[in-house]
Amino acid sequence: MNLWKLVWRNLLRRKGRFAFTLGGVAIGMAAFVSLLSIGQGLELEIKKQAQGLGANLVITPKGWCAYEQISVLTGEQLPEAIPMSELDKIMAVPGVKSAVPYLNEKTAFRNRPVPVIGILPEEMRALQKWRIAAGRYFKAADEPAVVVGAAIAQQFQLKPGDTFTVRGRSLPVVGVLREAGNKDDVASFVPLPVVQKLYAVEGKVSFVAVQVEDLQQVDAVSLRIQEKANVAVVTDKQLLSSILSIVGTVSGAMQAVAAVGVLAAAFGIVNTLLTAVYERRREIGIMQAVGGTRRTLFSAFLLESGLYGLIGGVLGLLIGMLGAYVLGPYLTDNAFTASLRQSPVPSLDSATVLLTFGLSIGLALVAGLYPAYRAAKLTPVEAMRYA
Amino acid sequence: MPEAVIRIENVTKVYGTGEAAAAALSGISLDVERGAWLAIMGPSGHGKSTLLQIMGGLDQPTSGQVHLDGTELTRLRPAELAHTRARSIGFVFQSFNLLSHLTALENIELALWFGGKGDDRARGMALLESVGLAGKAHLPPGALSGGQQQRVAVARALANDPDILLMDEPTGNLDSASEAELLSLLSSLHGQGRTIVMVTHNPAVAERAQRVVHVKDGRIDKERFNGA
Repeated sequence: MNLWKLVWRNLLRRKGRFAFTLGGVAIGMAAFVSLLSIGQGLELEIKKQAQGLGANLVITPKGWCAYEQISVLTGEQLPEAIPMSELDKIMAVPGVKSAVPYLNEKTAFRNRPVPVIGILPEEMRALQKWRIAAGRYFKAADEPAVVVGAAIAQQFQLKPGDTFTVRGRSLPVVGVLREAGNKDDVASFVPLPVVQKLYAVEGKVSFVAVQVEDLQQVDAVSLRIQEKANVAVVTDKQLLSSILSIVGTVSGAMQAVAAVGVLAAAFGIVNTLLTAVYERRREIGIMQAVGGTRRTLFSAFLLESGLYGLIGGVLGLLIGMLGAYVLGPYLTDNAFTASLRQSPVPSLDSATVLLTFGLSIGLALVAGLYPAYRAAKLTPVEAMRYA
Repeated sequence: MPEAVIRIENVTKVYGTGEAAAAALSGISLDVERGAWLAIMGPSGHGKSTLLQIMGGLDQPTSGQVHLDGTELTRLRPAELAHTRARSIGFVFQSFNLLSHLTALENIELALWFGGKGDDRARGMALLESVGLAGKAHLPPGALSGGQQQRVAVARALANDPDILLMDEPTGNLDSASEAELLSLLSSLHGQGRTIVMVTHNPAVAERAQRVVHVKDGRIDKERFNGA
């Protein structure tokens, strides 16, 4: 006989109660794990999009809030608020290597919304290092034609030679981009002058992506641009962190809700173990008579509690990951993320798995303290008095 | 004069406080010699069981001293007391007090573990063999007769080879055949030199002891030596 064997036998004595208490822990942990992994997946996706931007600085109209900054990363429709004249000023600033304007619009194609992004073909290609999967790239800076992202091509079965509709005007699809793993996959691209004309916003763009010549000079270049042009400037890192902080607030709130569930499960453990101590009073006395120490009794109940945490944590992790894959697309379907189009894939790193187990086992052990203390506190004679 | 392995000196035990206070033991003194077989008799509620519990360190006296093999029990910390119970004393109770969710063998292994013998399955089996129950090792107590359960309890009491066996009405729940079996088992244990103290209501059982002490109102009322 040893402690583990004794505890294991005790754990399985009341199978129904064991299952229900364990279910509570598993569900609480599953909620925690799934929300955590959905949140992490979302962050990964946003970071990937930020990399896809390929710029060191983003020039936006003054007064943009973080919602609009997110749209820079997602390719969502944006107000066209920067005059082209500002673009020339920006390009003239020393230290600016390239300044690539984006005009983010939206069209309905076969009753589906598709982003239409107006670009300067050569500048854009230099920035994004796009590769063509089928057909060709634009021949001229004002060619009335469309190049579509890989996901759009697949969704609508588009190939070079097909026709795409932008605001009622039919344009030929001349090329399909190779899959990039970011927002470019889910957009259609049209030379800037063509989009400006179709949407009647001549001379305006949504935002400008700027590359600097020397990364050390990012902040200096940013200041210089703000002096010369009537625009706001954010660095790619600022953009990313302000978006992540919003997403973090949302997923933090979801995790707080899940934490309440985990806490409720911990009280379930307390309840189950207190009942067990009450039921086993007599045998606690017997064990003391036979020579069991208070420490042994305390350890036995604490270990029993810890096992609820361990087993519940494992089950919770499995159910939670499953839940994240099944529910993730629905849960992340909100203002911040709907525009990501590709649902983020839930993600858990090993540190999070360890955190989950730590939380589950740690909380279970804390939950076991009071019942274990109650068991150890019983004196043999008072414990054995109960028939 | 043989040495006293158990020495009770002027022990009192009062339950409750103030007006509700009730004395279970009122200044009792008793020596039990090594190797003796002592029976404690007396009416219910007069302190027999309390005396036995105090002797075995299950309960603490209100005043007085309890020496067990030269150790003053009232001075021990709870953990030391538990170790003393595990190694020096074997308890047997009227209602057997086996753990119902463990097998007969596991009940004995539990005591071996508490006595610091670890996971000693072979010794557990040998003990069951010695009480004639090797074939029932893997049955839970509920599947055994009362007499068999009590023999498992005796085997458990012997797990750590204690010098002293303390028994509270060991035959109280047994039929006469089981009682005879248990008494012959106790005789052989006594023959091995173990000290046995048992509380009993049954004069025929007390007859098997060498010495019979009658407790009344928390004091020793009278005592006699069998065959003397």
